[in-house]
Amino acid sequence: MERLDRRLGFFSALPLAMLLAVAFLAPLLVIAVFSVMPQRVFSLFNAPDFSAYRVFFQQGYYGPLAWSLGMALVSTIVLFLISWPLAYGMAKVFGRFTLVLTVAVVMSLFVSENIRLFGWVLTLMKGGLVEGHFRALTGVGFESPLYNVPIIVFGLVYVYFPFMLFPLAQGIAMVPDDARQAAADLGASRWRVLWEIELPLAAPGIVVGCLLSFVLATGALAESKLLGGQSVIVIADEIETAFTYGQNWPLGSALSMVLILIIGALAIVAVTRIDLDTIMGRRR
Amino acid sequence: MPASRSTKIALYLYGVLAIVILYLPLVSVGFASVSRARYLSFPIKRYSTEWYARALESPTVADLVTTSLKVAIIVTIVSMVIGFFGALAFARYHWRYRGTFQKLILLPIFFPQTVLGLALLMWFNSVGIIPTWKTAVVAHLVWIAPIATLIIAIRAYSFDPALEEAARDMGASTFLILREITLPLLMPGIVAAGLFAFLLSWGNFPLSLFTTGADSTLPEWLYAKMVSGYSPLVPTVGIMSVVGSFCILILAFAMTWLLRKARNNRPKGADNDTGG
Amino acid sequence: MSSEPFLRLDNIVKRFGDFTALQGISLDINEGEFLTIVGPSGSGKSTLIRLLVGMEEVSEGSIWLRSERIDETPANKRPTCMVFQSLALFPHMTVGQNIEFPLKIRGESESSRRARALELLELLHLPADYYHKRIRQCSGGEQQRVALARALAFDPEILFFDEPLSALDYRLRKALEKELKDLHHRTGKTFVYITHSLEEAMVMSDRIAIMRKGRFEQIAVADEIYARPISRFVAEFMGEVNLFDVEGTASGGLYGHGVEIHANGEAGAADIALPQGERGILMVRPEFVRFLVSGETADFIVRGILREEYALGSRIQYEVEAASGSRLTIEKLREDRFAGAIGSEVVLGWDVENTHLIREA
Repeated sequence: MERLDRRLGFFSALPLAMLLAVAFLAPLLVIAVFSVMPQRVFSLFNAPDFSAYRVFFQQGYYGPLAWSLGMALVSTIVLFLISWPLAYGMAKVFGRFTLVLTVAVVMSLFVSENIRLFGWVLTLMKGGLVEGHFRALTGVGFESPLYNVPIIVFGLVYVYFPFMLFPLAQGIAMVPDDARQAAADLGASRWRVLWEIELPLAAPGIVVGCLLSFVLATGALAESKLLGGQSVIVIADEIETAFTYGQNWPLGSALSMVLILIIGALAIVAVTRIDLDTIMGRRR
Repeated sequence: MPASRSTKIALYLYGVLAIVILYLPLVSVGFASVSRARYLSFPIKRYSTEWYARALESPTVADLVTTSLKVAIIVTIVSMVIGFFGALAFARYHWRYRGTFQKLILLPIFFPQTVLGLALLMWFNSVGIIPTWKTAVVAHLVWIAPIATLIIAIRAYSFDPALEEAARDMGASTFLILREITLPLLMPGIVAAGLFAFLLSWGNFPLSLFTTGADSTLPEWLYAKMVSGYSPLVPTVGIMSVVGSFCILILAFAMTWLLRKARNNRPKGADNDTGG
Repeated sequence: MSSEPFLRLDNIVKRFGDFTALQGISLDINEGEFLTIVGPSGSGKSTLIRLLVGMEEVSEGSIWLRSERIDETPANKRPTCMVFQSLALFPHMTVGQNIEFPLKIRGESESSRRARALELLELLHLPADYYHKRIRQCSGGEQQRVALARALAFDPEILFFDEPLSALDYRLRKALEKELKDLHHRTGKTFVYITHSLEEAMVMSDRIAIMRKGRFEQIAVADEIYARPISRFVAEFMGEVNLFDVEGTASGGLYGHGVEIHANGEAGAADIALPQGERGILMVRPEFVRFLVSGETADFIVRGILREEYALGSRIQYEVEAASGSRLTIEKLREDRFAGAIGSEVVLGWDVENTHLIREA
């Protein structure tokens, strides 16, 4: 059995592993190599000079990077706080409503994120769904909340909500009811149970949810472009500009590499500390 | 220690609020799509379906739909096949590099899609492939095939390996076991994965953005129009794309429901629903 | 013992929607007692214990601890504690952290917590170096002891047990039953234990309460319940038993279905008489039934054919098919083994002092 399992495992993994090797790892390698090429070349056959990384510091590209990381951090914290009660409800309180909520949230994922963000523009703009109707009713208008940093964070929270909600709900479902009840029985208050039992035992779900949201928000582009106008430039925007208008592939690659390294380090730390088999519900 | 009544009510209300907020922007888009005015402003004074008629006539929209469909269908089929085997390697078989394989699969999902799209563009360029909708298929697959794998893996986890062992014990070959035992039992997962694959590909734009070359998908075109130069067709085409996905979804649910009903109508004992 | 009961359950009703799980439970529990609540699954015993520790709310009735009403006190404020069926040990904490948990909640200093945890480890015969062990590294029996230690660290007024031994193998369960009884003596605490296993109840408890369909069927000491069950349900629940339908006759005697009765009017038979026309059930435990040799007589006699013989270790069990068609179970110690062959005719008999009459309403 064991030998057969090994062989079958290897062969079953082959198609996906090959796809990822050719279309994921190889492009990453190309980015890595391009990032050390001299400025504005379009071929990999040049002597490396690492000039793109110098440009990164000299021309203040750490600004957009800091904006991206900062907004991702804030939106992750907000997401955690607003998702926890709902995830708790899904895992422990709601019966059939959990299914309704799951279907509703998953279905929203199937709508292209730019359509949903565009919908927010229509909702929040001056003369939009909210302000337009408000003015029609009261005669008083107000400034649109669009085109600033808080609304970008709102957009990130909105778009990445499912990526926090589902892992959290999964994590909370992993907390045995008996453990919570035993803690209460032993005298722990509601907050003590949360702190001593629920948070530590739901940790795998919390880590996955926070990491997913943070990583996806760091690389996000559409939120700042559609909702934020030009109020801040994020790193993904700079990367796109370097590749397209800038026609500077090595610079774009270097910017990408910085982003990839930050995200990769986070992802690897988290992924290696988590047992996927338990989270996904292995039976034996 | 059950939650108190008031806590429960508050949580339910919170859940409903979440759904409302989730879909509020689509309501705005929906209203905008039936507004007659060229420059949108709420409250809408005159409604009209004029933009829908225009969108249906437009050859550009037809092209966009065709391209999006081609990409989504191929991505769906390939994802289901790759995902089926991937899930077995992920969840079912015990082999040497399983842990590494599991982590490798997660990486593309975690990866910023815009950057992934750009990386693929450079990769295609350096090996001399000119980007078309076919390269977009590859780009979508990098992200969607791992997701399909995870969805099928969840099903594979709840699958008792003793079933396969029993079949082998009765003399079935590896191929026969795969066809007669493993595939039927994982089918619900495979169908769900296919549905996800189609819808995620249909709605994706960050990956398509750099990898379609001269071709363009629906979400890509919408994005281009949104960031530069509003067109009154944007809400209309957006809603059409959304309605398209929901139709697929409803169709899928209806088919599952019909299949289940057909199975339940069979005499008792023929029902081999494994639940889970 | 004081005049007022230690824990009083007053007419407790618990409903879940349309389903009534407990239909008016009343019970007084004495301080220092070991009371076991026994019942088949679905009888409501788990619901009852969850109400007592405060994990569910009563629909009607009240719970009093030392004349203080506690049924509206939340679980974390009640001076009671439960050992769960699953044990509910916290998997992310060490053995020591688990035991210290209630003390930490109470805000005790680290050194006093540790000292108490080590004391409890010793009390439960666990080596001191288990303090740093992970829960996952402990065996089933060890986890059992850790759960007990944690509950004792809480120092509850009453300790509740929700079938904590059910997952263990037979030998370990037997050993822990005795240990639990010993622990009860040594700590002097009030133990309330629920189980579906009669054997467990008999070994450990001072009193046993038999539960059925959300009510108490009988509450008494183990011997009483075994020898004088109040109903057919209790009689059958408390192990192997032979039952016969009887009814009172005009002459003041008994008429039995499938059993010859010779004891009427004799000494000791008074408590097995029935008024005319009233029905009852005659009960005799298998160990009191004898195989009669010819000429020998007994107060009650049944004729039949020996059908099966089962070896139960120290005892042998026989199954006899009576002429009336019913089956009887007889048990003998191995040294008193019956020599008859399977299929042979036998005469069974027993005496009035080993017979109990159940009057069913």
